[in-house]
Amino acid sequence: MLPWKAIVHIPDGFLSTPVWATMDVAAAPAVAYIVRRAQRGFDDARVPLLGVMGAFVFAAQMINFPVGIGTTSHLVGGALLAYTLGPAAASVVMSAIIAIQALVFQDGGILAMGANLINMALVGVLAGYLPFYLWGGGRWHKWAIFAGGALSLMVSAVLALAELLISGVPMPASVLGVSLALFVVSALLEGAITLAVIQALETIQPGFVRKPETGRSFALGAIGLAAVLLAAVGVLVASTAPDGIEKLGLQVGIASHVRSLVTTPLTGYQAAFFQTGWLRKASGGLAGLALIYGACLLIGRAVARKRSA
Amino acid sequence: MHRRDPRAKIAALMVFLVVLATAHRALPVLGLALVLLLSAALIWARLPLFSALARAAIVLPFSLIFAAVCWLSGDPARGFSLLLKSYLSALAVLLVVSTTPFPALLRGLETIGAPRFLLMVVQFLYRYLFVISEEAQHMTIAAASRGATVRGVMAGARFRAAAGALAVLFARSYGRAEDIHRSMLARGFQGRFQPAAALRFRATDAVFMLFASLAPVLLRATVERAL
Repeated sequence: MLPWKAIVHIPDGFLSTPVWATMDVAAAPAVAYIVRRAQRGFDDARVPLLGVMGAFVFAAQMINFPVGIGTTSHLVGGALLAYTLGPAAASVVMSAIIAIQALVFQDGGILAMGANLINMALVGVLAGYLPFYLWGGGRWHKWAIFAGGALSLMVSAVLALAELLISGVPMPASVLGVSLALFVVSALLEGAITLAVIQALETIQPGFVRKPETGRSFALGAIGLAAVLLAAVGVLVASTAPDGIEKLGLQVGIASHVRSLVTTPLTGYQAAFFQTGWLRKASGGLAGLALIYGACLLIGRAVARKRSA
Repeated sequence: MHRRDPRAKIAALMVFLVVLATAHRALPVLGLALVLLLSAALIWARLPLFSALARAAIVLPFSLIFAAVCWLSGDPARGFSLLLKSYLSALAVLLVVSTTPFPALLRGLETIGAPRFLLMVVQFLYRYLFVISEEAQHMTIAAASRGATVRGVMAGARFRAAAGALAVLFARSYGRAEDIHRSMLARGFQGRFQPAAALRFRATDAVFMLFASLAPVLLRATVERAL
């Protein structure tokens, strides 16, 4: 197993308390929601399928793909699951995988599980499904699958990196650069492997792979995707240079508004609490995350409106 | 310890993890104290101490990379904290999972609010994890015997062969899931899983939970006050 694939499962002890606590609080309702969505219309008979597919992903990680001189890579699987089971069921399966990895294999922390769930099971699967949903039906079918596989890995890794940076884990520019380069390579490999497996599946039994609707606007999708990518990059930049972002924010006058928004309801409390470093750093990162969620929401609304038009 | 209610163990684990996660002072001493605490618990639970200590070290390679970066960036204290906390967390989880039957653990999680559908998926995953992994292993051996790992063969062909193997594994897994579903129906599955046997929280569980939760808190308070 390539070492950088492990980077996406954050162990305990790496994230600062505000980060892991916020992620746990955010993950709980999100996972509950996605579980309810996956159950919609199906009785518990779906459970064995999802369980077995989760076991499949585990086992699939043992199959090595040759990718160069003496190196091999393996499938992570979020996008593949989304294309065969649908995004909600895929999120549930990935959540189960993350839980088993943390509990049985001690791969990934318990307090950090909220963050890992959001990175891989929720946002990662969504990011992987988005290109397929937008372009999977038309001529760009293969590229959509490739892009989805790559994006699911890239977004998961970038989010994990951002969380680590916001928590104050030191990462000099060189290490950051190398990590990002490795993420890009892994993402491209994930895209390639996902595409290859989907193509093989379509040969065995076409019914396995879902058929997304045709005729989605390429331009709308491209803009939406660009927005998500920009927001993701924004989170990363914000977490690496929180002071820089703060300076920029001060110049533009945003930061003072944000701070007054946050502090006014709580002015009765100790002023010392708000002068700690984490709030400054966190506000940059959290603003970025809010951007991503907002972008996804807007994309979803816009696409839905276009469909019904 | 094996017979304690899983909820007591889960609660104690969470207290331990939070005490550990929020600790910033006197980490070496606190770390040692907590390792001793967990070791005592392992011995009390009659688990092999050294293999547990070794097994928890599985997190170390990953943490070591970051610790090295911390050390080189001039923050060795943080590097040590990363190593210590990730190791202790893994050891604590290992303790709980080794003293609790998996279905009971999931049932405990269900009573504190985890979605039952998700926990059932986890249970099925666990059940078939080794079955499917073995199948994957057989496939890799079969492929190797047919020359899949031979360097002479073009990488592109081997890549496609691996993809094909994965697809076949997928199809077999899917088919297996359908067989499972059919046998469930044949045995009278009504459509919803019923909750498993109820867990009973006894006085001994309450006592255990109290002491197990207090121990890390008291240890930390003592260490921080003394230093």
